[in-house]
Amino acid sequence: MDSFKVLEIKESVFADNDREAERLREALRRKKVFLLNLMASPGAGKTTLLTRTIETLGNEMRIGVMEADIDSDVDAKTISKTGAKVIQLHTGGMCHLDAEMTKQGLEGLGTDDMDLVILENVGNLVCPAEFDTGASRNAMILSVPEGDDKPLKYPLMFSVSDVLIINKIDAAGIFDFDFEACAQRARKINPDIRIIPVSAKTGEGIGEWADWLRASVRQWRGE
Amino acid sequence: MHELGIMFHVVKKVEAIVRENGLAEVEAIVLQIGELSPVVPQYIVACYPAAVDGTILQNTRLEIETLPANARCGRCGKVYNLIERRKICPSCGSEEFELLCGREFNIKEIRAC
Ligand SMILES: Nc1nc2c(ncn2[C@@H]2O[C@H](COP(=O)(O)OP(=O)(O)OP(=O)(O)O)[C@@H](O)[C@H]2O)c(=O)[nH]1
Ligand SMILES: [Mg+2]
Ligand SMILES: [Zn+2]
Ligand SMILES: [Zn+2]
Repeated sequence: MDSFKVLEIKESVFADNDREAERLREALRRKKVFLLNLMASPGAGKTTLLTRTIETLGNEMRIGVMEADIDSDVDAKTISKTGAKVIQLHTGGMCHLDAEMTKQGLEGLGTDDMDLVILENVGNLVCPAEFDTGASRNAMILSVPEGDDKPLKYPLMFSVSDVLIINKIDAAGIFDFDFEACAQRARKINPDIRIIPVSAKTGEGIGEWADWLRASVRQWRGE
Repeated sequence: MHELGIMFHVVKKVEAIVRENGLAEVEAIVLQIGELSPVVPQYIVACYPAAVDGTILQNTRLEIETLPANARCGRCGKVYNLIERRKICPSCGSEEFELLCGREFNIKEIRAC
């Protein structure tokens, strides 16, 4: 028994993912492909916003979509109606995507003729924030019915997001969502976060969102 | 629940280390899990047999060390446990803090020959 020796490893398991994500990001930069990682709770409006985004930007850039879902292809079908190239990634029960899965998804989608690829991450405000996918930018949606206290409950998600889209503002009259309080809470965690209120349903605010996305894609591509 | 998927990574990593070091037999692996890490120790323990099934880690022992979620107060500098103190400094009541540790998920060591 005492022939067993102790090997000190002291290595972070997630460090592998961080390295893989960094490699993927560099590869995307070289190929001039912008990858947006879109995160939110289930039902916050990711697919609806994506549809709007493709309608708005589809004639000026080549857009591909990766739909991550635990087990269905409902969203991929919805997106395919816009004419954008879409691929469904089944996460096989995983509640988040990591860099390796994202890389495989990009290979499946094919990025040679893409300017912008949007990844609809699994609906979940917790662990997608923990795993760098290798995306150029992270965006999150918080929808009005979910409440303005979410930055307090899921700080990590707000800290890793470059932009916070507050969706379903058409329903603001029904809920007691305090936009100012939400913005303050989000900025306390992440002073640089860009906040854009929208309604994916009516189209309000979509122009500002599209402007942000267009500018980010151009900057990434060095245009 | 994502522990099983994450444990597959751990197994792959340990397998690579075992190969690199020319080890014959693994007796145990030791993981460090921070109180604020996105993995739940009970779930890791529960899925371990499934994760190692059919690998060189089959029939090995898993040990887990928990690392505390410690923070330093942003106002008075006191170091305290965030979870026990519910993110409020016990000396001055401030809610400003800098996280010192607690988010780790490490392979600490492998016992092998
Ligand atoms: N009133 C209102 N409803 C919206 C808005 N955006 C989305 N919805 C509705 O919210 C529901 C969920 O929208 P989805 O776009 O499917 O949300 P999702 O985040 O993709 O959901 P999952 O993929 O299931 O996590 C649908 O019934 C949408 O019609 C909005 O701006 N206003
Ligand atoms: Mg969806
Ligand atoms: Zn997860
Ligand atoms: Zn203090």
